[in-house]
Amino acid sequence: MMKRALQAAAVAVALAGCISPPSPVASQDYKSRAVTRTEGKVRVSTAVLSADESATVYGVPLARASIQPVWIEVENREDRTYYLLSPGLDPNFFPASEASEAFASGESSEQRVGLGQRFRELSFRNPILPGSTTSGFVLTNLDEGFKFVQIDLVTGGRARAFSILATVPGFRSDYRATEVFRREIYPPEKIVDYTDDAAFRAALEALPCCATNEDGSKNGDPLNLVIVGGLDDAFPAFARRGWRPTELKWSGSILKMVASALAGERYPYAPVSDLYMFGRAQDLALQKARDNVHQRNHLRLWLSPLRHHGKQVWVGQISRDIGSRATIHTPTFTTHKIDPDVDEARAGLTQDLAYSQSIAKIGFVKGVGTVPKSTPRGNLTTDPYYTDGLRSVLVFEHRPISLAEVEFFPWESRP
Amino acid sequence: MRGVRRFFASAPCAAILSLCLAGCGTWQAPGDFNDAGLRARAVTASRQDVRVTAAVLSAEDSRRMFGADVNRLDVQSIWVEVRNQTPERLWLLRPGTDPDYFSPLEVAWSMHSPLAGETNARIDDHFDRLGFQNPILPGETRAGVLFVHPERLTRLLNLDLLQTKRLIPFSLFLPVPDEPGAPSSETTLFSYAEGESTDFKDLSTLRASLEQLPCCASDSRGTGVGDPLNAVFVGELSDIGAALVRRSYRRDSQAGDASQQVFGRAPDAVLRKIAQGGAPSTWIRVWLAPIRFEGRRVFVAQVGRPVGGRFVPHGTADAVLHGDVDEARNLLVQDLMYSGGLDKLGFARGVGPASPTQPRVTLSGARYFTDGLRATLFFAIRPLSLSDVEFLDWAAP
Repeated sequence: MMKRALQAAAVAVALAGCISPPSPVASQDYKSRAVTRTEGKVRVSTAVLSADESATVYGVPLARASIQPVWIEVENREDRTYYLLSPGLDPNFFPASEASEAFASGESSEQRVGLGQRFRELSFRNPILPGSTTSGFVLTNLDEGFKFVQIDLVTGGRARAFSILATVPGFRSDYRATEVFRREIYPPEKIVDYTDDAAFRAALEALPCCATNEDGSKNGDPLNLVIVGGLDDAFPAFARRGWRPTELKWSGSILKMVASALAGERYPYAPVSDLYMFGRAQDLALQKARDNVHQRNHLRLWLSPLRHHGKQVWVGQISRDIGSRATIHTPTFTTHKIDPDVDEARAGLTQDLAYSQSIAKIGFVKGVGTVPKSTPRGNLTTDPYYTDGLRSVLVFEHRPISLAEVEFFPWESRP
Repeated sequence: MRGVRRFFASAPCAAILSLCLAGCGTWQAPGDFNDAGLRARAVTASRQDVRVTAAVLSAEDSRRMFGADVNRLDVQSIWVEVRNQTPERLWLLRPGTDPDYFSPLEVAWSMHSPLAGETNARIDDHFDRLGFQNPILPGETRAGVLFVHPERLTRLLNLDLLQTKRLIPFSLFLPVPDEPGAPSSETTLFSYAEGESTDFKDLSTLRASLEQLPCCASDSRGTGVGDPLNAVFVGELSDIGAALVRRSYRRDSQAGDASQQVFGRAPDAVLRKIAQGGAPSTWIRVWLAPIRFEGRRVFVAQVGRPVGGRFVPHGTADAVLHGDVDEARNLLVQDLMYSGGLDKLGFARGVGPASPTQPRVTLSGARYFTDGLRATLFFAIRPLSLSDVEFLDWAAP
């Protein structure tokens, strides 16, 4: 407890004394790179602020408290009032009043009131009345490189969802991950669109069992996940359930993870090591932080050349971290001990995403190969695992779907 | 190395270590577990040809079932039995019970000892066998244990059972054993006698009656002004409970809660949302009101969050109400939009406005400002999506 108190005091000291009035000509540059989308008569624009921009706009170094403002503007030309749902951007977002308190330590009560007021004025404020344009910030957890910005707008009996991939300036950008959303990475002749479910199932079952090391000579974790959908339908589900992109693995992050593991604290950016499929490392790695870094779920995804009714098909791997441990099998010398029951992690993700209001259909196909508990297989970091050999296939849709509308493919019986 | 020592000095690690030292080195698979004691205090509910039975394990149950007291890891073990008499298989959705649940092998791993591979494998096997396994086949009765974050006194257990195009949810209130001196009223929520409640049949008379409710709580003498009553929940307890549990709210009553009194009593239930790292976040204090709407129960509630939030070390500060109570209320509404349980939403008057420049002071000395509205949330058992929520044309926040 004392240790925590000291750490908090240290953070408070580090954060206090940094408050400066926002620049009178606060940088509006972020608006010039805003991404805009329109659906019906509703237009949204968004930009994610860099650490420097957020310090300029707010007058305090938000990034040091791992807070990242997302600027959102909504123009409502419909005849009904809309409301923006902040938990859609990040279920662990920071209410403006709470974020201002990160910088309140050591300030006079007058300064605190001023700070709280500034944060409140900058925040996105509902409602968005018919004929009006409203803008402001939602304060999210810091993502480095890029961010899935999920903008859920609701009104009576209707919802409009906008999914935008925004780059975050000031960090080393994860080009590989963003490229895969920006342009087709496969030549047209390589792409196969399946409209017949049986043929699709066969194609999924014919994919390799596992991800591999770089030269493909050793099998790593089992490919137990198939995600059908793209930026507009599958990734909103991940954002709404708190799955966020990982940082590239580079030394700063490794150091932070080691420090976090030692202190038993939650650090959302423990990087994942590379695995290979289709001749390349994962296109995207996502993770969902839990109470602390010892408990963290992560998944890797590769865009495949398959399509299902025109939708992108991602192949992936999910495992449940149950602790950090030292290993000599990765260049970074730390890895995550995984739950050997990898099916549990697969079921956990499937069930978690069922609550995203985006899953339309669930199915299970063979392809991993059964691995009995008595003779477990090892992944590249020698963690043992066993499995019933099935892949979970999750089909996403853009429209909101309740739990009572989820369908199942009549394939392998649900494990 | 100092860092490593610090790590080992941390409380959860010490708990794990002591558990290991106490149990794992010499871990023995317990004999067959007799579940008669569990069944005797288990709570049962049935709906749509599905019956569920559940009980929270005591320390003694845990030792007899797992060979160690898992409660000491800050994990609550819940024994669940599901009988499926529908023609289709069922799937228990674990995140519906606790969005941050533990897997059986994750709990088992915490009990591993270094250099005890064979014992560790036996521990894994044992936990694997006792964990709840999907699916529940038609005609089958299946029992197993769920590992979740602890709740004291009474566990609000939500079980979401999924099949094709159908969700069958249950909410049970389970007594938590090993809680010395727990008042029995904690396990049976307050209810009014026949004739003490007024049942309203239409929305406009309901709204009028909600606007007549007191603005705020009072102290135990019925004097002083407590925190504002800025929310109303309409629906069955199980529907409201399911929606809240799915969004990481847990029953968590703390010492200061009882000082807030409405209808002459302390809150009937208190829930807290657990933010990252277990930091304090929004609280909801709930009282059953002597009002019904179309036969369903009506609860009046305080929604607030403590000053400091995630940025103060927890356990070091008293929970003082943050002044922007409308923010806490509005964000609860937004959160519950994703719960699948929200049917209708309206804003009634009744709290009375207070401006930031002339805030109201509560009996605990907290200052707050508000638009004076009460968010009124109607819950449904039928799972709903974001686009199904009806907005009532009441007051506008």
